Amino acid sequence: MIVAENLVKEFRVPERKPGLLGSLSTLFSREYRLVRAVSGVSFEIPAGVKAAYIGANGAGKSTTVKMLTGIMSPTSGRALVAGLEPYRERRRNAANIGVVFGQRSQLWWDLPVPDSFRILRRIHDIPDAVYRRNMALFRDLLDLDALGNTPVRQLSLGQRMRAEVAASLVHDPKVVFLDEPTVGLDLMLKEAVRRLVNHVNAELGTTVLLTSHDMGDITAICDRVLVVNHGEVVHRGTMHELLRTADTRAVVFEQQGERDHAIDLIEKGLDGASAQPLDGGRIKVEYPVARWTARQVMSFLLDHFEVTDCVAPEPDLEMVLRRIYAGQVVT
Amino acid sequence: MKRYTPFAAAGLQGLLQYRSTFLISAVTATTAVGVQVFLWRAVYAGRDSGLLGGYDLPTLTTYVLLAQILGLVQANRVDEEVSGEVQRGDIAVSLLRPVSYPAARFAAGLPVSLANATLVAVPVLALYAFLLPLTAPTWTGVLLFACSAALSLVIGFGVNLLVGLAGFVTTNIWGVRVVKDSVVAFFAGQVVPLALMPGPLAAVAHALPFQGMIDGPLRLLLGRYDGLLGAAGILAAQLGWALALTALAAVAWRAAVRRVEVLGG
Repeated sequence: MIVAENLVKEFRVPERKPGLLGSLSTLFSREYRLVRAVSGVSFEIPAGVKAAYIGANGAGKSTTVKMLTGIMSPTSGRALVAGLEPYRERRRNAANIGVVFGQRSQLWWDLPVPDSFRILRRIHDIPDAVYRRNMALFRDLLDLDALGNTPVRQLSLGQRMRAEVAASLVHDPKVVFLDEPTVGLDLMLKEAVRRLVNHVNAELGTTVLLTSHDMGDITAICDRVLVVNHGEVVHRGTMHELLRTADTRAVVFEQQGERDHAIDLIEKGLDGASAQPLDGGRIKVEYPVARWTARQVMSFLLDHFEVTDCVAPEPDLEMVLRRIYAGQVVT
Repeated sequence: MKRYTPFAAAGLQGLLQYRSTFLISAVTATTAVGVQVFLWRAVYAGRDSGLLGGYDLPTLTTYVLLAQILGLVQANRVDEEVSGEVQRGDIAVSLLRPVSYPAARFAAGLPVSLANATLVAVPVLALYAFLLPLTAPTWTGVLLFACSAALSLVIGFGVNLLVGLAGFVTTNIWGVRVVKDSVVAFFAGQVVPLALMPGPLAAVAHALPFQGMIDGPLRLLLGRYDGLLGAAGILAAQLGWALALTALAAVAWRAAVRRVEVLGG
């Protein structure tokens, strides 16, 4: 559904010299510096997949999304969304996609939310049945009616974002691009937005490309992950595979003995592992995968302590990403 | 076409949110007409002949009044809104709609003109018709004026869209708009009819598209043309400029989109 082949985007940025004299000199002569925001990104996202596009600030995420939505054309390479090159057939592509840019509004600033939806309905020529079905869904999940007839410019960020997400889905797009879709939402609403996206994906097979800094969004919505760093895809695969690239694992357990003593014992007995006290008397053990197997760690714990409770949490996505950004793991 | 009607409705609704703008427009237009009329009365009072460039006082009063009103109707806010979108970067979102942006803008600007025409122009016109002696136009004049005024809307839209798109080139769009407003008002004949301008200046004004916004329509209304051929000439010039500006705006829009595509939103 979404294909990127060697996408490259370079910008010419005017070079500014420091100081007043420098500023004056840019009035007369400008030197440009070439910035490569996206350098040869290739990936493919099949129809119906919910993919996360993750990267640190400045990794080239939004530039890539702009190329896929048709706002920007690549310097070289090619993109295909639902069979169209977005930047060549922008208007036809626009009919196929829905977009939420967390920072920008696609609603009519001076009009109440329901009016924006009526306009979108006409612009996209949405059949009555589809429109009614979707509006009922949005009303149910996002409580759109609560926004009333307030003009969009007077809504709070959270209220507006609900309407933005709904607006991106009202015409049953084949692909929806969500850029920070839960900015400014409280926990309940974040949950509602995630449910809505998942629902639409399950019912209609809508392909989702999500960029977010909210790890909760990514884990709740996405089944595929693309990690970009310095404009290149450095990891692709399922969420599970990404988490497995973590080079440490953790076990959290509860025991009946004295805690400081137990921590000492673990750090001495398991070379390279670290143990930290958690609240409620629990202890978190982190161990390097290269040195110890889960079996070895578990049997060590069972041998030495009266274990009353034990969980092995999934590796922390944030930690995995930090390592990838820092260039420690490249898969 | 069907896809653009909601833009028209939205444009009107957006405008109606700010009711005070109508009041302010009405006060501004009334004052401007009043000042100009009294200025011209003083000019006529100081002269022996009752004609100035072929206009007698009631005809010139009519001209000044209608020039103000046409100017008001052509103020469709397109320059303001386009440059605003460009500067805020919201133009990127507009590119994500499956419609032609210039056409959507035109659709959104048209009801603004119509609303100004009915809610502001008519009351101001009625007020001055009551206060001052005016020249009544002929039916032919009214008919020609209607065609001409429609073309003037297209010209006004083209000019405003081009100015709005200047937002891609400069951030000081406010300055550009102030200059545009005064240049357009002057060369359109909103301040002084082209017939009263000194020769070379009038020649410049006739060569520019702006005369088709006010002087052209009003000459047709007030019968100040040489026979049917002269009337056709005025309309043809307007049509030519309307087409040229539409083409120019289309080219400028394409260039602007390329700029977004290449430089980023």
